[in-house]
Amino acid sequence: MSIRPRLALAALLALVWLAVAMLPVAAHAADVIVIDKALSMPASGNGPPTFGANAQPVTLPDDWAETRPRHEGGVWYATTFDRPTSVDRQELMALYVERACSNLEVWLNGQRIYSGGRMSEPVTRNCHYPQIVTLPGALLSDRGNVLELQVQGHALQRVASRLRAGGLSALKIGPQTVLAAEHLRHRFWNVTMVEIVSVVLTVSGLVMIGLGLMNRREAYLSYFGWLSLTWGLLSMRLWWRDMPWDNSVTEFLVCSAYAPVAALIVQFLLSYADLRSRWIERALIAQCVLLPATLLLAGAPRLYSMAAFWYPIMLIEVGAVAALFLVIAWRRKRRDFWAMVAVLSIALALMLHELFVFLGLIDPPKWPLSQIAMPLIFAGMAARLLYVFARSLRAAEDGRETLETRVAQVTAELEQNFAQLADLRVEQVTEKERKRIAGDLHDDLGAKLLTIVHTSESERISTLAREALEEMRLSVRGLTGKPMRLADALADWRAETVLRLGQANIEIDWRSPPEETDQLLPARGFVQTTRILREAVSNIIKHSGASHCKVRCTIGDHLFGILVQDNGKGIPMELDGKLDRGHGMSSMKHRAKQMQGQCLVESGPGYGTVIRLTLPL
Amino acid sequence: MTEILLLEDLPEIRSWLKVLINQVFPDSTIHEAARVHDALGLVSAVKFNLALCDLGLPDGSGVDVVAALREHQPECQSVVVTIHDDDDHLFPALQAGAFGYLLKEQARELIAEQLKRMSQGEPPLSPSIARRVISHFASQTQRQERPQNMPHVALTDRENEVLLRVAKGFTLPEIGVQLNLSRHTIADYVKQIYRKLNVSSRAEAALEAQRLGLFRR
Repeated sequence: MSIRPRLALAALLALVWLAVAMLPVAAHAADVIVIDKALSMPASGNGPPTFGANAQPVTLPDDWAETRPRHEGGVWYATTFDRPTSVDRQELMALYVERACSNLEVWLNGQRIYSGGRMSEPVTRNCHYPQIVTLPGALLSDRGNVLELQVQGHALQRVASRLRAGGLSALKIGPQTVLAAEHLRHRFWNVTMVEIVSVVLTVSGLVMIGLGLMNRREAYLSYFGWLSLTWGLLSMRLWWRDMPWDNSVTEFLVCSAYAPVAALIVQFLLSYADLRSRWIERALIAQCVLLPATLLLAGAPRLYSMAAFWYPIMLIEVGAVAALFLVIAWRRKRRDFWAMVAVLSIALALMLHELFVFLGLIDPPKWPLSQIAMPLIFAGMAARLLYVFARSLRAAEDGRETLETRVAQVTAELEQNFAQLADLRVEQVTEKERKRIAGDLHDDLGAKLLTIVHTSESERISTLAREALEEMRLSVRGLTGKPMRLADALADWRAETVLRLGQANIEIDWRSPPEETDQLLPARGFVQTTRILREAVSNIIKHSGASHCKVRCTIGDHLFGILVQDNGKGIPMELDGKLDRGHGMSSMKHRAKQMQGQCLVESGPGYGTVIRLTLPL
Repeated sequence: MTEILLLEDLPEIRSWLKVLINQVFPDSTIHEAARVHDALGLVSAVKFNLALCDLGLPDGSGVDVVAALREHQPECQSVVVTIHDDDDHLFPALQAGAFGYLLKEQARELIAEQLKRMSQGEPPLSPSIARRVISHFASQTQRQERPQNMPHVALTDRENEVLLRVAKGFTLPEIGVQLNLSRHTIADYVKQIYRKLNVSSRAEAALEAQRLGLFRR
């Protein structure tokens, strides 16, 4: 962003330096004779005529549009001069003609010494070329040299620009070195500069047309490309001297070319403002056809009049569209609004200036102002468009990259979600399957065990069946259950234990931590602990003969413990020193071990029994 | 004269339950049904005082029969008799209007005792059921919207107190001692809690139906 303005500034400075360097310097004014008076005669036949009574005195520069309207063909000018005494005799002398339109031949003291090109149709177009003629020393006298010039030109009526109407500027005679420098400067600005600009415009035009073709949506690129190209080709009229066709053809083509130029400007501005009107497009096409048609109808001798009719119309069109563009740019708060105001007003001012010159309302500038300034504006505009295009390209590229990253992110998220979903689905299916198994167990096995419980004659069998049913239900709960809050589990155990011991008329003293904990107990842990506790309580009820039972619960960070103590008769020792297996002690210990916990039993005859259960959380 | 509905699909269980009912209520008439469909037919024909309903039946759930009884015969006391002791099965039945539950595998004497108590207005309440009731009313209170013409059912402080203590593992007699209340008063609280659970669940169901657009024309 910051490099571009600096580059532009550097380019501008270089141009200014070039301009200053090439500016004409007023040197040796005394050595140069300026001839601004001459005799003139219409040309007839070959060679200089005899300037007699019919010769007319004219003031140079002689503008044919003023002095001899509608004159078409050749005019002879004659003048005399003395060799400037201040100039050294050895010095090479030259004649400098700033403008002779369209072509010029020079005779000195009766000898033809110079020709600018073809003097008959197609006449060489030297209107924009300054001419320098070296005066041969042998022909040059000290005093009374006769200089005769034949100018071949066109009537204003037959040309599309006042600058190509016939005429002769003032003549300068002086040292060749001095005049050659002036000639070089003039030629640089009038011709070389225009040539450079032509090439630049043509190339940039082609580039933009190419870009426009590849990016159909950016129609303004194409329009601007074609505009640049047309303008570049059109500037060829200023430096292409020997065209292979008559002047009338060239003038017709040049004049006709303004219609597409105007159309392209209008279309460019409209499309740059994102506007499009079929109606305007048709009108512009019609104009491109109508303009040459009217020129053909009016004929070559009335070309100027027709151009004087069309040029203002087209300028108004362009002006109107420029105004429309600026209004829209203002409303849309375009960032380039003020830049466009500057560019468009300068361009319009230049075109207006050109029109005034064309109509003869103001004198033509010394240099082809619009032929250089307009292309400069074009080039600036093209640079701006390319910059905008490149920026939007980069933005698009960035956008695409962002999009790609986003897509990658979303894909990753999606995959992750999918994996989670799959996990969830597996969980759901597992859960469903667990429920189904649980349901089957209840309906099938449960019903059978239930029947045994309530139909068996033997109390022992029905008790076994009841226990089996309880076991089954616990297993099912372990199968389907979710983690349980430890506090809730303790409440359940308490309720069951108190109820059972109460029914057995055993006093119970249960104490658990009063504060609520949020610790969770896995379903299996709950089931196993329930079994162990239930077994312990069953033992107390069935075997201990105790009258009192004490239960203490403790909750640590990673452990919880339950102590069950009774005042019964204790568990009798077996012969091998181990506790009675019939009381289910080993299964209690086994269950505790399964949960990475431990179950310690202390008992002695007459001392009651203490069961310490410690389990990890 | 007591009219009793007995809904149970297993013939053996049904027969011993019948024996048991005859023990507890000697002068009762027992109407047996093995299917939800049959039971619903009986509900529309006979006016019951007590109903013992199994939950898992071949053609549906006993909860539907409980709900139908609550709807058409509010005086009838429904008791769920089931092999499922988990509150996932019991709670919906209690919400539908059941007044208590019996676990089938319990000893005959114990079942008889519980049945007697229930018929005398002393329903059981386990810690896990109490916790479900607490969270049910908590979510009810949080909810802003309430269907029109539906009373807002809230528990009294005393009822809450009883529920919380049950949820912590205290038995009903223990709570009676702790709160210095008689056994009958505690039983009344529990009955009241069940009743409110039913009313509030029906309100919730109506709200749910309304939300699903069932009442929309």
